[in-house]
Amino acid sequence: MAARMDPGIGGEVTLLHTSQLDNLINLARASSLYYLTFGLACCGIELMQTGGPRADLMRFGAIPRASPRQADFMIVAGTLTYKMAERARLLYDQMPEPKYVISMGSCSNCGGLFQLGYSVCKGVDKVIPVDVYVPGCPPRPEALTEGLLRLQEIVRSEPWSTKRRPAAQAEGA
Amino acid sequence: MNAPAIKNQDLSKGPGRTARGVVLATLAVGFGLPTILLAAVLVLSPLSKPAMLAAALRAAGVDVSGWSQTGQYALWLVAMAVLALILVSFGAVISGMTVWWEMRVSARMQSRIGYNRVGAAGFFQWIADAVKLLLKEDLIPADADRLLFRAAPYFVLVGFALVFVALPFGESLIAADLNVGIFYITAVTALVVVGILVAGWSSNSKWALFGGMRSAAQVISYEIPAGLAVMVPVLMSGTLSMQGIIRSQGAWPWEWHALTNPFALVAFAIFFVAQLAEGNRTPFDLPEAESELVAGYLSEYSAFRFALFFLVEFGNLWVMSAISVTLFFGGWQVPFAGPAVFEAARGTGDLPGLGWWGLQLASMLVFVAKTLVLLNVVVWVRWTLPRIRVDQMMSLCWKYLVPFAFVCFVATLLWQILVARVPATAPVVGGLMLVAAVVAGFSFLRLTRRNISAVGDRVDFTNW
Amino acid sequence: MTTHEIHERLKARFGDDVGPLSEPKIDAFCVVKAERIVEVSRFLAAEPGLELDFLEDLTAVDWPKRNVIEVVYHLLSYRHRHSIVLKVEADRAAPVVPTVEGVWKTANWFEREVYDLFGVTFTGHPDLRRLMLPDDWVGHPLRKDYQEAGGWHGISNVRENPLVELKRLDDQRRAEAAAKAAPPAAPDAAAAAPKA
Repeated sequence: MAARMDPGIGGEVTLLHTSQLDNLINLARASSLYYLTFGLACCGIELMQTGGPRADLMRFGAIPRASPRQADFMIVAGTLTYKMAERARLLYDQMPEPKYVISMGSCSNCGGLFQLGYSVCKGVDKVIPVDVYVPGCPPRPEALTEGLLRLQEIVRSEPWSTKRRPAAQAEGA
Repeated sequence: MNAPAIKNQDLSKGPGRTARGVVLATLAVGFGLPTILLAAVLVLSPLSKPAMLAAALRAAGVDVSGWSQTGQYALWLVAMAVLALILVSFGAVISGMTVWWEMRVSARMQSRIGYNRVGAAGFFQWIADAVKLLLKEDLIPADADRLLFRAAPYFVLVGFALVFVALPFGESLIAADLNVGIFYITAVTALVVVGILVAGWSSNSKWALFGGMRSAAQVISYEIPAGLAVMVPVLMSGTLSMQGIIRSQGAWPWEWHALTNPFALVAFAIFFVAQLAEGNRTPFDLPEAESELVAGYLSEYSAFRFALFFLVEFGNLWVMSAISVTLFFGGWQVPFAGPAVFEAARGTGDLPGLGWWGLQLASMLVFVAKTLVLLNVVVWVRWTLPRIRVDQMMSLCWKYLVPFAFVCFVATLLWQILVARVPATAPVVGGLMLVAAVVAGFSFLRLTRRNISAVGDRVDFTNW
Repeated sequence: MTTHEIHERLKARFGDDVGPLSEPKIDAFCVVKAERIVEVSRFLAAEPGLELDFLEDLTAVDWPKRNVIEVVYHLLSYRHRHSIVLKVEADRAAPVVPTVEGVWKTANWFEREVYDLFGVTFTGHPDLRRLMLPDDWVGHPLRKDYQEAGGWHGISNVRENPLVELKRLDDQRRAEAAAKAAPPAAPDAAAAAPKA
């Protein structure tokens, strides 16, 4: 239930009919998350396989869209270089709200195997805010599916009408 | 880490089984929604004509003959507006259900599971998609031409909605039986080209521009063979009116245009291919080729405007199937119920009796069934054939389809003369073609089964 | 033809400008003077019997102690199936080598890569600019004395060890849970608002 906190009273005031609507709307939103394919390296191959027959991401309503304008969330799959990080930021900015990011694999989580590389951006959360980190090198399709389920969990528990992301939430910039 | 247990999306009772409530809800909406809309079309379309409207109101106790001219017109306008609303809703709903069906079929064809979370067999996915698209931020790129960017989806939507004016659903179930029906439809679907061009140009993006140009070239080129192929059933029927073309055919397969005249069958093939190209369907979906043009002319569209384009694209499946059924496959003709039966059931009173309504229902069911079969074929074709290149598409149109369409046209002229001279030709050739079609159908099925068992597989429907 | 024989013919033609063949003789190389490399390349590529028309690789090695940057050319002949390696030593302070792009077109990008990563300038190259790194990158990374400049365009290049970071977040969340479990002071309900 999406509870509305009233700090003056100091307790939780639950508006039942609104939160039922929230539930329904969030159920619809979570069941229809289109993702922007941002496969950069080996994780991209696993991303393609997760959309494949064995672990079908489309079951959950997640269809790949190539244009950021039509995507709800971005799966950053693979090693991010500094050059690419700027473009990732550009694509993230082009996505319409409400938008989310799944960071897939060690390289986009924290630079991964290439942490000491001079051209590698140490994690995609240096340029865009990340909602779900999926560990692995590369993560198995089952792992990425769990990442998607956690994202659905996040979507279903937020009050959708007030979802706005602060402008520069990049960490450690 | 003390993470809470995942409250997951899975609404199933156990592995592989959907909760009973969900199944019932899915069946209720899946059958109920189109039934309600079709029933509304069934009831409203004959009743929205002035004479029947007055008669129905009189039966209900309201006498409108005493009203002023403007009053009666206003009443008629209201009835028409309601019918228009029902028809456009039908278009939208059928578009959503087509999306579901297509995704389901494509998943099975690709050995995937497909939508299975939202409702039994993922039936409510299109509703979830629609809700989500409504709630997304409406983006207009900073450098885009604002007015045209906003207007483009409406061109496309209007081009789609206007077709329903002349699209038949049953014997008297048509919003307006224009005597230039098919000509009107061909003209109105050209609005879609304008919408696509405007969308591509106003997006201020090179991908969108390329996509828009390609799509415009494709749609305009394929109007030619489509128009020529349409001439063949028009020649055979002697009228441009949609209901007239259907009335000139019979209910039985050997009386359909496509199975009477061999050149009409070729014309159907040409028309089918041309309609696929006009609807931007694979194998002609170059304008939206994901791997090449991101999303083509749609690249900069988000949220509801994108939903409108999508709605029109999938709604066009119904429209193109319905037109093909009308022109080539006998439309709503009910077996054993020729025009005399309809006349008898109509009676002489102001309002027709229950028998007539029953016959209308039968004709609507026949039409819907045929359209759905053809719609399924369109979906199959999309997921079977690869995309063809833009130069292959152009050469196919101009070097093959257009000459063949001309040949069919001239041959049908000769055919008409032949049938006028020797009336027995029509049923004889019709019977022969029907036999050929049945044999072809059986061989296709047999070949399919042989192909399946040749790789050691089986036909297995348990996964549905 | 063995590498030794190729080297013999090279020495016969160019004399002192070509050094001796290295030992041991796996990928044996000889050092060529920088100013003659173009003529040597043309000779090796065009001479009938040699026809080393395939530049397999063009790369570089940084030797700070010897104060040179060696540019290495791996040559191969498809027709005769023999190969040889040439090396050119460039002064580390201001490395300049003539381009062999006129002989083998593929050297265009190879030399751009060497310029990008080592800073070797190839005179006569039609388009000498960075290949992989961003155009405004400072420094040449594969030099032994390369120091990272601390990020690029505002993106920093330091990151806490993920294990340390996770432990910190873990401890933080445990502390929050403990604060909530203990009976909260009355006006603290707002302060206990969960941090996502």
